Amino acid sequence: MPLKLLVQLSARNLTRHKRRNFMLLMAICVAVAGVTFMNSLIRGFQYDMQESAVANLTGHLKILDPGYLDDPSIQKSFELANDWQPDIAAEQLDGWAARIRIPGVIMSERETRGIQFVGVDPAQESISFLGDADYDGEPLRDASDRRVIIGRALAEQLETKVGRRLVIITQGVDGLNREMGFRIAGFYDAEGTGLEKVFVFTGIKTLQEMVGAEVFTEVSIKLTGTPKEFSIKAVLSEFFTGLVVLDWKELEPQAAAMFLFADAAVFIWFLIMMGALIFGLVNTLITAVMERVREFGMLRAVGMRPGAVIVQVVLESTFMMALGVTIGLGIGVGLVLWAGEGIDLTQWAQGMEMAGMRSVLVPRLMAADLILVAGLSMVFGVLASLYPAWRAVKINPLEALRR
Amino acid sequence: MRISYLMVAVLLGLASGAVQGQETSATASDSMTAPELLAAAMDLQSGIATSYTEAIMVVHRPDWERTSTMVVWTRGREDVLIRFTAPAKDAGNATLKLAEKMWTYTSKLNRSIRLPYSLMSQSWGGSDFSYNDLSRTDILLREYDLSIIERNQVDGHTVYVIEAIPYENAPVVWGKEVLVIRDDFVLLKQTFYDQDMEPLKVMETTEIKELGGRVFGTKLRMVKLESPESYTEFQTLKAEFDLELDDRLFTLFSLQSGAR
Repeated sequence: MPLKLLVQLSARNLTRHKRRNFMLLMAICVAVAGVTFMNSLIRGFQYDMQESAVANLTGHLKILDPGYLDDPSIQKSFELANDWQPDIAAEQLDGWAARIRIPGVIMSERETRGIQFVGVDPAQESISFLGDADYDGEPLRDASDRRVIIGRALAEQLETKVGRRLVIITQGVDGLNREMGFRIAGFYDAEGTGLEKVFVFTGIKTLQEMVGAEVFTEVSIKLTGTPKEFSIKAVLSEFFTGLVVLDWKELEPQAAAMFLFADAAVFIWFLIMMGALIFGLVNTLITAVMERVREFGMLRAVGMRPGAVIVQVVLESTFMMALGVTIGLGIGVGLVLWAGEGIDLTQWAQGMEMAGMRSVLVPRLMAADLILVAGLSMVFGVLASLYPAWRAVKINPLEALRR
Repeated sequence: MRISYLMVAVLLGLASGAVQGQETSATASDSMTAPELLAAAMDLQSGIATSYTEAIMVVHRPDWERTSTMVVWTRGREDVLIRFTAPAKDAGNATLKLAEKMWTYTSKLNRSIRLPYSLMSQSWGGSDFSYNDLSRTDILLREYDLSIIERNQVDGHTVYVIEAIPYENAPVVWGKEVLVIRDDFVLLKQTFYDQDMEPLKVMETTEIKELGGRVFGTKLRMVKLESPESYTEFQTLKAEFDLELDDRLFTLFSLQSGAR
């Protein structure tokens, strides 16, 4: 039996029950559009989290003393040649920064807090959140700035103001404590008060002077695009004998786990929506088959092969699915574009911060996800039609005609 | 446990009150500069080789009050051993300070630990003293610009008011400090100002007496001005100076064994 005839038959069958099939089509559209939109939100969340994990002084790759993660102190530092540059092709390298990051205690007139004291060269910090943070007051001028910048949230805790002096205590390379007064240059505003409460920055030269050696505790490297982290990691490991090179997944295992979870969530979400939809689809197709028992019997009686019956039912389902997926994807993409500016979650900002997110959720469309949705929907459409098709084939032409 | 830092702080402050012994019977003259005056007030223990004191401390809050008693031994300017004698809950707890290092001992746990510097810089939870308040008194000489801003006659004594303004990168959070020192070098009052130059806390000597043959401030009170209903008071009940103390007293072993 020519396929063209089967296609024609299927298409006509679909238009025989306009209202019923329209409802089913709507269900498919809503499901596909919903999945598309939700997935783009999950992706937005996922990449937002990854970006903030990388921007929060981590970078894609970081070079550390092997003991630093267990004991992040100035004793676990290393020296760098003055003209050191990471050996990475310029088009892959977004930037790099060498810093000192050690624990310290900060004191104002009224409060004392534990902090991470970070010496930075402001010129290198375009790779971290410091680069585009907003300031009350002003940012650090250069690597030998003798002032500090602190987070807005920490400033509130310390009850202090721009221009005031704070005392910071930390440990020098000789293991003895150093304390020094620092004027506040400004307060930075990070997305999320978690960072603001922890990090206090000063010029790296100032901090090197304070700890008493020209050393660094970390070099952070940010790459462009989808980075080929592993090949670069190997190159760097070779260069830095005695140090370790870690990628962001190792440094931020929680964010990395969330990242993987989001990958799975996209799929799980899709399965739930499709699972529900499939039963509707199967139900409709079975109804369509059962009300056409006489018709199928007749077709079989005049010589239609069982295979052709199956193809006919499968085609009906596939047409329905293809149409629904197309329209659904259209609606979904439309929704994403409509929400392109991002969804303001400021109301739940505190909860969001715990998950390492910013307060604006920007959906992110990924071609791979669209293909996954479209492809799997079609597969499910075919699978769903198999049972009704089998029912159709099982019809005994004699019995059917005698009804 | 943290009460101990406070104790040391107060103790050393006390010692600074004990500055002037009658045996030295030194008095200030108007020709002294602010740093000299302060150095004399800080250099309390010149002539004090050892001391033994019994003291009582009251932490007062609007809705509660706690009183603890302790005995204290000192050797030179740097070494201190404090042991609590009451309340029963704290009795036996002790703190040993040798130069820059400090250990505390908790009798219930039978453990002693070396205190990290960051802890020592904190104020004792609930009290109004911080370790820094009194133990690091020489910081005033190193990190501040000192000047005498007033000389007053009070009860036959000349009283000097010294203003101390920290240098630019000094490890000091205060906007300034104002100290009132009597001509016999007893520190009468120390006021801490925030960087808006608003007074934040005041330590006052509320009683000056002779104990153990010396005249010094026997009662100190620290008040945070933002909550004047809360204060901490430290009173010396009994003092002996220049007595024979065994060197073994100032050891970790003695800290733990509760020797003596």
